Amino acid sequence: MDLVRHLRYFIVVAEELHFGNAAIRLGMAQPPLSQRIKRLEEELGVRLFDRSARQVRLTEPGRLLLGEAREIVGRVDRLHELARQGGRGTVLKVGVPPDLAATVLAALVAAFRESSPEVRLAPAEVWTADQVTALAEGTIDVGLVRHPVTAPGLTFGQVLVQAQGVLLAEGDPLASVGEVHLADLAGRELLMPPKEGEPGWRAEVLAECRRQGFVPAQVHEGAGLGLVLAGAAVAFGPRTELPGLAWRPLLGSPITSRVSTAWRAATPAVGDFSAAAVRTLKESAGMTHEGAAPVRRVSRRPGMLA
Amino acid sequence: MSAPAFDQLFRAAGVTGWLYAADVDTGHDLGHGADEPMPTASMFKVPLLVALCRQADAGLLDLTERVTVTAADRVSGPTGISSMLDDVTISLRDLAYLMIALSDNTAADKLLGRVGFDAINTMLEAFGLKETRVAQGSGEMLGSMDVDTGHAWPFVDPDDIARLSVLDPARTNRSTAREMARLFGMIWRDEVASAPSCAWMRGVLNMQVWPHRMASGFPYDDVAVSGKTGTMPTLRCETGVVEYPDGGRYAVSVFTRSFGTALIQPRADAVIGTAARMAVDHLRR
Repeated sequence: MDLVRHLRYFIVVAEELHFGNAAIRLGMAQPPLSQRIKRLEEELGVRLFDRSARQVRLTEPGRLLLGEAREIVGRVDRLHELARQGGRGTVLKVGVPPDLAATVLAALVAAFRESSPEVRLAPAEVWTADQVTALAEGTIDVGLVRHPVTAPGLTFGQVLVQAQGVLLAEGDPLASVGEVHLADLAGRELLMPPKEGEPGWRAEVLAECRRQGFVPAQVHEGAGLGLVLAGAAVAFGPRTELPGLAWRPLLGSPITSRVSTAWRAATPAVGDFSAAAVRTLKESAGMTHEGAAPVRRVSRRPGMLA
Repeated sequence: MSAPAFDQLFRAAGVTGWLYAADVDTGHDLGHGADEPMPTASMFKVPLLVALCRQADAGLLDLTERVTVTAADRVSGPTGISSMLDDVTISLRDLAYLMIALSDNTAADKLLGRVGFDAINTMLEAFGLKETRVAQGSGEMLGSMDVDTGHAWPFVDPDDIARLSVLDPARTNRSTAREMARLFGMIWRDEVASAPSCAWMRGVLNMQVWPHRMASGFPYDDVAVSGKTGTMPTLRCETGVVEYPDGGRYAVSVFTRSFGTALIQPRADAVIGTAARMAVDHLRR
């Protein structure tokens, strides 16, 4: 049997958990798909799906084998792609967060080109959670992820940190003060990267906001700053100078973004990219090494406790 | 005359709120979640004060008796004897003054040791305040927070706050906005103890030092606000009586729980005053 092809069928059925839908996605009829899954189960000697209930569910062995199947299929695809590229040099596929400043991305590409001229860099804008999937599937070789992120099998480069400030519309009354406290933002709406894309960062930021007295009436999702420009929301980010917007540091540096490279298979190109990323992010994005987190002091005021 | 938009008011201050207000003399009243059981935090010190007076009225104790508060009695707290370093010898009524005016936890627990839970709860039952119970002293409440979270003050993590038994009316001192306000109304009508004792309690409640909650809603020299606050992480409350220049007297109780967990939230404190003001204003129309 063509094991790789059968694994592709397995992956699609596992994603759809519905034979009919999977067959449509694969452009084939349902009976042959069911047959091929059955053959794969015979070949492997385990049941991959539980079809007893009305819905299709992955069995425990199925769940375990799915990750491996994705890796095998990903590597086969990569093999084909490398072969297609022939002698035209290697390509390093890189995932970067869509909200990474354009100047930083440009500096990153330039720095890598300088250190590894023989490797072509193919950057794609991908949020952290999608980078983790893309790394597992082999569709990217190395990513630039936001922490906290947990994924078995990933190796992380040096973690760099950056205290975030707040972006406000120019006309916002808070734009007239030097520093803004998170509690000052009470009553405002907040713009954050999409929940699906940056779950760890979002949870961390919202918990800190709540701890400090800022519970946004609404959390908008997106990477563009249009809502901030319109005065409908505020956003957290590094110092930015954009017409119509004001950036102010946050008092006490309560929100710190932590970024690092991440990869699954270490290659010389991945190592070079990782080193170039650390260098560039420090130089052109103002990030620093992760130090000890400052301990937050909570003041005692009698009236707040009586 | 429709009731004020309390939900909107509370939401704008980042809290959920419960309220009850009544004209002390006519009984004309207004409620917003008035019968919801709520933790009372330091407001339990008011039924304790009343029970103390009743025991004095009955000749069971002498309010001028002097007791010595030692290190062994000391409970943590931001004010009064709780924050002092040395032994204090003081009369029972001055302990009561510290307990109410400054919310002194040590003074409260010392008095609670003399009065006893049974006396307070039997009294509350007799008053028909069925939702109001005193089951813990200040020291127990504070100690439970360390146990519930596994660490010491401060408690600002949302996860920690979800675990606090002092925020669960089933497991701590409890009441409702209606019953707390009713108790205050009874003090103002001389119904809970002898007239001189009630007058003394009103004076002590009028000496509460905190200006940031109920009193902030009535920033006028000719309006008197007497009350007692209660505070726990995300819980801010106060019950009091507001006395207008024309003699109108209103018992008001407001409880709030904040969405954010920060300790310092001036808007959450001030909305207690704003809501009380709106309620009194409504009752006077």
